[in-house]
This record gives sequence, structure tokens and C-alpha cells, in this order.
Amino acid sequence: MPTTTIAAENLEKSFSGTRLFSGLSFSVSRGLLAVAGRNGSGKTTLLKILAGLARPSSGRVRVETEGAPALSASERRLAVGWAGPDLELYGELSALENLRFFRTAAGRGAAEDDLERRLAAVGLAREAMGRQVAEYSTGMRQRLRIAFATLFDPPVLVLDEPMVGLDVEGRDTVFRAIAAARERGAVVLASNDERDFVEPEQRIELEGAGRRA
Amino acid sequence: MSGLSRAWAVCAKDATQELRRKVAMVAVFFFAATALTLVSFAIGPFGLPAADRPALEAALLWIILFFAAATGLPRAFVAEEEAGTGLALRKTVPAAVVLAGKTLFNFVLFLAMAAVTIPGFLILLDWKVGSPLAVAATMVAGGYGLAVVSTFLSALVARAGQRNVLFVLIAFPLILPLLLTAISATIEATAGGFPLTALRVLVAYDGAATCGAYMLASVAWED
Repeated sequence: MPTTTIAAENLEKSFSGTRLFSGLSFSVSRGLLAVAGRNGSGKTTLLKILAGLARPSSGRVRVETEGAPALSASERRLAVGWAGPDLELYGELSALENLRFFRTAAGRGAAEDDLERRLAAVGLAREAMGRQVAEYSTGMRQRLRIAFATLFDPPVLVLDEPMVGLDVEGRDTVFRAIAAARERGAVVLASNDERDFVEPEQRIELEGAGRRA
Repeated sequence: MSGLSRAWAVCAKDATQELRRKVAMVAVFFFAATALTLVSFAIGPFGLPAADRPALEAALLWIILFFAAATGLPRAFVAEEEAGTGLALRKTVPAAVVLAGKTLFNFVLFLAMAAVTIPGFLILLDWKVGSPLAVAATMVAGGYGLAVVSTFLSALVARAGQRNVLFVLIAFPLILPLLLTAISATIEATAGGFPLTALRVLVAYDGAATCGAYMLASVAWED
């Protein structure tokens, strides 16, 4: 299986003249990159930049697959799976309808049994799969976010505080998803809880006004 | 999977959401019904000399359609941002596909609104239409233009503060030529003629608006 690499080159992000981080460079192809730092240090912003959902003030993010031509914008979009606390899915749709919609609108097939398997893998009961997401508890929503992040089997998985709101079983489910993703590619994980980082291959600690790697 | 079927998926998703929560639909239809009732009370079937009727009726019809549409159509992208679902959409679906799907949904919403408003207009104002086919063609061409411009502007202002004010400020100069042409076409159609020139202008406007929106979709929605 070809290796996909996500590389940050000299990233800098400033908001209203305040520099959040600068000179941030790293590269990860396989294994876990832990992103730590106190609240407001820029973890969420960094992960959104990696996921292509925000632009850096300077520097760039490369996503490349070994031996393959440059990824198109659409391919790149799906090559980096992302979930974060501000990710919301459609409350009026069920979990199955949400996943089916995103697969179809992204131009990928949406086999019913595959979608059910994905939801079961994050611990959603069969009965819950057909219920509107607006009726979900915080933990169920978090499980659905993980299913969304892994919906396209991305070689790079970017997870921002993935354990928030989860019970012990839910945490185990996410740990299993992270372990599987580490096997096939790179995982970038940001958290305030050190217990979420299980033997990371790399680590970045953000300090808000600068960087310590 | 073709771009059209992907856009259709976005349209179907919006329609499913709308049928379940009924926000835009209720706002649009209630505004249209209220405006129609007020106009019929103010002018009524006999309140105007016959010679003045076509121009005023055409203008009133488009004013009702435009303002009713303005209560629902701009929600296309704004609703995504307000619900926090914009990130998931941007992460997985190209902006042009989202724009096409949402334009399609807004166009269908406009046609549904017109299909309810026009019979009411015919009855309450005793509107005499010389060429129903020309009126229908004007509704389709004008409605599509309104849908594509409103949807694009919705993407543009979705993440801005004061988005409602911003929408109106930007929409006014862009939609005014469309409305004036649509009113002119409706006057001619009411009198029994076929407004070929005005329809050509509307189709050209629709084409230009579609091309512009498609080319700028990514800038408006993703940046």
C-alpha cells in the first residue's frame, strides 16, 4: 500500500496581530503525532489547517502519496479525515442518512451494509442508526464524528479532542479506531489529556505565542 | 459518479431537511400569502383602470415573489454555518457541487412558491393573462436567475457578521436588472404578446450568473 505523507512547512498563524504559532515544520507518514498544549495554544487551529479547513498566515501543508501524481483538490480533501469539537452533522437526518449523503455527494458509493458496518464499528446500536441525530446524546454524536472522520478510509486521520464526552466503552472504540488508522497511515491527535496519547511516534507542544517541539 | 448526481444529492439532502423542519418553506409561503392578501385588499379586482393594470400587476407579482424568495433563498449556505455543518460539507464536497445542489433546491422552492402565489394572484386580483405560456417561461427564467444569484450570495455572506444586511446590500444591484426585465416580460405576456427580447435577456443573465457563480464558488464558500 503506497504511503501518504502529510507535511507542514514553516507554518505560521496569526489572529489580529497575535501570533499563535510560527516556524512549525513536521512530517508524518505513519504512526501517531501527538499535539499537546494548553487551552488557546492553537491546537484546533493547527489541526484545521492540516485538514484544509483553515489557511495558515504563511507556510504550507503538503499531502503526497508515494509514487502517485499530485493529489487533486477533491482527492486531498478526502485523503485527510478530520473530526473536531465543532464538527456538526445534520440533526434532521439519521446517522445512516448523514453518512450516505456525504459519501454520495463526494462522488463515492454508499452501500447500505458498508455504512451500517462503519456505524457499528464506532459502537452505535442498530436502533440508533435510523434515528435523527438531533436526538443523540453527546457521546453518540462523538461516535458519529469518528465515523465521519474515517468515512473515506483516509490515509491521514486528524482528530481534535476525540475522547470528549465519551464513556469508557466509547474511549476504547476510539482507541481501536486510532490503532487501526496508525497501522495504515498517519494519525495527528490533539488533546488536553495526556492519557489520549498512547506511545506517540512524534510530539509537538504548542505554547500559544510560540512553539516547542 | 457525475457532478449532476452529486449536486442532486445535495439538493435531496436540503429538501429532506426542509420537509422535516419546514423553516424556509413556512417563511416563504407565509410571506407570499400575507403580501398577496394585503395587495388584494389594497387594489382588489376593481381598484384600477384596465389600462393601468398590466404594468402594476406585473410589478406587484414580482415584488411579492422577490421578497418572499428573499426570506428563504438566502438561507441556503447561511443555515449550514448556523448549524455548524458547513465544516463537514466543506471537508467532503467541492464548492461547485454544493452550489449547484443548493441552487437546484432554491429553484424548486421558487417554482413551488410561484405555483401557489400565481393562482392566488389570478383569483384575488382578477389577473387576466394573455399568454400563460410566456408567463410560465418568464417565471422559469426569472426564478432560475433569482435562485442562482441568491444561492451564490448566500455562500459569500454565510460566514460574515451582519450577513442579512450584507446580503441585501450586495443583492440589490445584482438582482435589480433581473427583476426589471422579468417585470417587463410579464407585462408583455399579460397583454398577450410573447416577450422574446426580454426572455433572451433573462436567459443571458441566467447563463452569465451561472458561469460567474461556478467560477467563484470556491472563493465564496471555501476561503
